[in-house]
Amino acid sequence: MAAAVNRVTQNLVLIMLGCAVLRISAFSTTYLNYVKPGFRPFLIGAGAVLMILGVAGLIQAWRPGKGSPGAEGHDRSPEHGQGRERARHSRDQGHGHDHAHGGPRVAWLMCLPVFAIFMIAPPALGSFAAARSETPPPRSQALTAFTPLSGDGPVDMPIGEFIGRAWDDDSRSLTGRAVRLTGFVVPSKKKGQWYVTRMQIACCAADAFPLKVAVKGIQAPPPDTWVEVTGTWIPQTFGKMPNGVVYPQLSGTDLMKVDTPDEPYE
Amino acid sequence: MSELRTDPRNPWADEDGTVPPDSWGRGTGPKHTLPWGFALVVVLLVVGRFTLAPHLTAPALQTWATIFVAICVQALPFLVFGVALSAAITAFVPASFWTRALPRHPAAAVPVAGMAGAVLPGCECASVPVASGLMARGVPPAAALAFLLASPAINPIVLVATAVAFPGQPLMVVSRFGASLAVAVLVGWLWLRFGRSEWLPIPSRPHGDGPKWARFGEAMRHDLLHAGGFLIVGGLAAATLNVMVPREWLAALAEVPWLAVVVMALLAVLLSICSEADAFVAASMTAFSPTAKLAFLVVGPMVDLKLIALQAGTFGRAFALRFVPLTFVLAVLVSTLFGWLLL
Repeated sequence: MAAAVNRVTQNLVLIMLGCAVLRISAFSTTYLNYVKPGFRPFLIGAGAVLMILGVAGLIQAWRPGKGSPGAEGHDRSPEHGQGRERARHSRDQGHGHDHAHGGPRVAWLMCLPVFAIFMIAPPALGSFAAARSETPPPRSQALTAFTPLSGDGPVDMPIGEFIGRAWDDDSRSLTGRAVRLTGFVVPSKKKGQWYVTRMQIACCAADAFPLKVAVKGIQAPPPDTWVEVTGTWIPQTFGKMPNGVVYPQLSGTDLMKVDTPDEPYE
Repeated sequence: MSELRTDPRNPWADEDGTVPPDSWGRGTGPKHTLPWGFALVVVLLVVGRFTLAPHLTAPALQTWATIFVAICVQALPFLVFGVALSAAITAFVPASFWTRALPRHPAAAVPVAGMAGAVLPGCECASVPVASGLMARGVPPAAALAFLLASPAINPIVLVATAVAFPGQPLMVVSRFGASLAVAVLVGWLWLRFGRSEWLPIPSRPHGDGPKWARFGEAMRHDLLHAGGFLIVGGLAAATLNVMVPREWLAALAEVPWLAVVVMALLAVLLSICSEADAFVAASMTAFSPTAKLAFLVVGPMVDLKLIALQAGTFGRAFALRFVPLTFVLAVLVSTLFGWLLL
């Protein structure tokens, strides 16, 4: 492992990370499993910067003489000497200041996301995450006025909008309308129903929470299947929101399996 | 150095024993050694891809990996941006600029630096390397720390996101701005008064005498390799807790007002959500009082797992051990005060 800390390795690690980032952002839509669509340019930029840094560093490292400007002489400059003294000093105090020596070892961890991306290939959050988090979704406060639904036949609608209309629409625009929702299947503990679900993210998958609509009248498909379910809203019978978690309900009439969409989150 | 070489926790100490530690990221030792360590990583990756990958399909593992990769992927552009800005500060901005831009007296420089945080449009990952670059350029540490704490919380992007997440509650935005700035300035002043220089070794930088662009690249690589690894540590911890701690446990605690504030503050630390997104998460916690949500918004950008790892990596453990608890306690107290007064 003599090469563990050499300059070539550092740059190779940077290049590998840059490759992985470009692989999921520039050359596929995998990044949509993790972040919002608008994030793509930043990811491509970051990946490109990592690649450029790594490649430039490699060229410098392999070019004898001219490479690594002033490295040898300046590494032994007084400032560095002091930094070392200080580091050792705090280590003697027992605090184990790890900055100086931690760098090399901890930088190896930058390989971990690459391993995760290529070996586990993490998919979009599915029924496991959705079943785990029972937090009621926030009311869609931003939509104060709901436009009336127009046109014939079933209306395609994001699940978030369906929930908003179901809870907050005073004009009850959903009444009697056939709607079509797209999401994945989450089993329910209650008999005779399951949830068509979409995760909503604000920034990245770490802040995701599920938007669920309970579907009745259709046999539950296997968990995590992506489906398009058509049906009509079942108006709630309670006047005021009860305590605990409640989901709006849909009386299902039609079910179709679909492929996982490119953009799995709402 | 001899005790370092035999330190069992330092498996690579042998190799860099003759190399000044901070110069990792620079030319070292024999130039053309083959990168065996890296070759091993690549072999593992390829072998794992074809033998292990079909078995790594447990839903819990996949959910964990998704959140881990999401945190890393989301933070990386901000980290790269922050590192580039920090390197630009060291390579292109002369040190004399900062002595002219900031008030001479450090106590006056702290609030000015805190307010200056409002102009850096980024989240917390960007602010750590920038603050370290400022210190390396001679800005008083207390002022740089005020900037570090304030900038992720009070910049325009974050405030707009907060306004969108809490429609019709402009006081939430005002409280967030006020409380965050107050905490940043208070911590800065406390550090100025009680902080000791040995707790916070000024991060030293590679000082190449080559062309400016080469120095820029060197500084960037140095920071990226240090901060990047610690970002991953934070991401690992945050993803693990995110998957293991069910959020409904917390809802039960929301009934007790003072407990709710503490629980939301701790949650902000554990979840490590980017400051540009945390307002949406706070808004979704409908069971909690506005004051508890404010505590979440104030603590999150200042103290969270990935940030603690980044700070410990950039400024040293002795620093993080003192700075993190101080910031946390002050953030909870100040946000309680603001919540009580305004919300």
